[in-house]
Amino acid sequence: MKKFDGLNYYEILKIPITSSYFEIKRAYKDALSLYNEDSIVTYSLFSKEERDKIIEDIQNAFSTLTDDRKRAAYDQMLVDSGQMETLIPFKEKQYGSSPLSSTHTHVNENQLYTRVNEKLLMEDVKALLDEILLQERLSGDDLKKLRKSVGVNIQEIQYITKISASVLNAMEENRFKELPPDTYLKGFLRSYAKVLQIDPQKVIDGYLKTISLDKTTNYSVPK
Amino acid sequence: MAKIYPIGGGKGGVGKSFITASLGALIAKWGKKVVLIDLDLGASNLHTLLGMNSPKIGLNSFLNKTVTNLENAAVPTIIPNLFLISSFHCYMEIANLFYAQKLKIIDAIKTLPFDYILLDLGPGTNFNTLDFFLTSKEGILVCTPEPTSIENSFRFIKTVYFRKLKQMMKKASFDSVLKDTSSDLNGSGVNPPDIIEMVLKHDPEKEEFLRNKLSKFEFKLIFNQFRNNVDATLGHQFANVCSRHFYSVFQFLGSISYDSRIHDAIFSKILYIHKYPHTQSAADLKKIAARIMSEIPTESIAKDML
Repeated sequence: MKKFDGLNYYEILKIPITSSYFEIKRAYKDALSLYNEDSIVTYSLFSKEERDKIIEDIQNAFSTLTDDRKRAAYDQMLVDSGQMETLIPFKEKQYGSSPLSSTHTHVNENQLYTRVNEKLLMEDVKALLDEILLQERLSGDDLKKLRKSVGVNIQEIQYITKISASVLNAMEENRFKELPPDTYLKGFLRSYAKVLQIDPQKVIDGYLKTISLDKTTNYSVPK
Repeated sequence: MAKIYPIGGGKGGVGKSFITASLGALIAKWGKKVVLIDLDLGASNLHTLLGMNSPKIGLNSFLNKTVTNLENAAVPTIIPNLFLISSFHCYMEIANLFYAQKLKIIDAIKTLPFDYILLDLGPGTNFNTLDFFLTSKEGILVCTPEPTSIENSFRFIKTVYFRKLKQMMKKASFDSVLKDTSSDLNGSGVNPPDIIEMVLKHDPEKEEFLRNKLSKFEFKLIFNQFRNNVDATLGHQFANVCSRHFYSVFQFLGSISYDSRIHDAIFSKILYIHKYPHTQSAADLKKIAARIMSEIPTESIAKDML
């Protein structure tokens, strides 16, 4: 079995060296769907370690090639090592202007989870999390505290969960009226908790209790 | 020279015999002289799919020397240009063919005077199946688009490589690699070792030569019993992944749509493509037959982007 050993980032993503941002992104998505553990084609082909390594390579390729500065340095390295003939300024080869979403931060999930895990191992972080999660109700502020204590920012959650930033902000700022119906909200809270690697059920129950309390207080106070 | 296509892979029931019979009939219809050889020894039934009674002459006649060469063991079918070498009347224990007999058959196959020779192989990865599969530089692998079947195909491919390496290496050096790998296995614990890589890397002087030999082999893939709910690009994904992570060129020949009438046709002993010539599955088979005959340069397909 051959893996990605000896392949450069372009070869890993199977794209020409002149590829535009869109092409790289598409190749990246294709590669992820082909090599993820649920792929009917590859699930039985690799061990977990091999698969993790492959996914990591794909993510490194993507994050390098979609960052202009990193890509230029990488191309230079390929030229210096003789893997690429001459430096091709990829900017000129790009079709159209650079995409609007190119300003978004790319998040390496594996790295993020490693980081969160390290935080979770720290005594004071653990104590703080336990204290918050022991509460019967969880407010938006609590969510924010949880998130900050494991050192994750909103953009990272947005990237991984695909929940829009406005909903995430509304959740953390207790703007309950702007939140989607409970069914969706539960799913969002679950994904949110999963990124922080804390018990999703506690987060869902605690947050929904805060919302229902808010409703009853609002109704009981006549205008 | 004849084109030889062994047709194998996976479990029983994925449709190897059905595909062999259908492709044979289609290629013969286009004017080529075709012989089908039933090498599912001990479970042969290709003749039934072709709507024939079990032929008296066949592989048995060749093995017991009633006929002097294999060509004379081929009987005509009801389809012009299409011939069959059956193994139905072979003795009861034919499945455990002697090595010398197997070599005799393989040598004879290679010199048969036909345009196309299709070998219908038995299921699984026993030595007979693998050796017949390695009769040619290219082989057709049939599987269904299900996780289990795909898993079996990977196993089949690996076993083919393993067998091929064993054929090419001196017995002593092959055995010593196996001894090394099994002791490595005991030491490494969790990871199942990649035996093929270990065999290849065992002797650095030979490595290039062996890799080169394996790269000469061409696998052609067919997905059978393809249902609408399956991702249509699955076959190409499968071939691309194989080309990338194994050692040879893999070409995806196409998918054959699932049709319950295929079952009916088998019951009625009339070849499906004759009974239902205007169905999607018949069209799929035609496309695959045409692809085999046109011999599209496989390189370009293997290098297709995902």
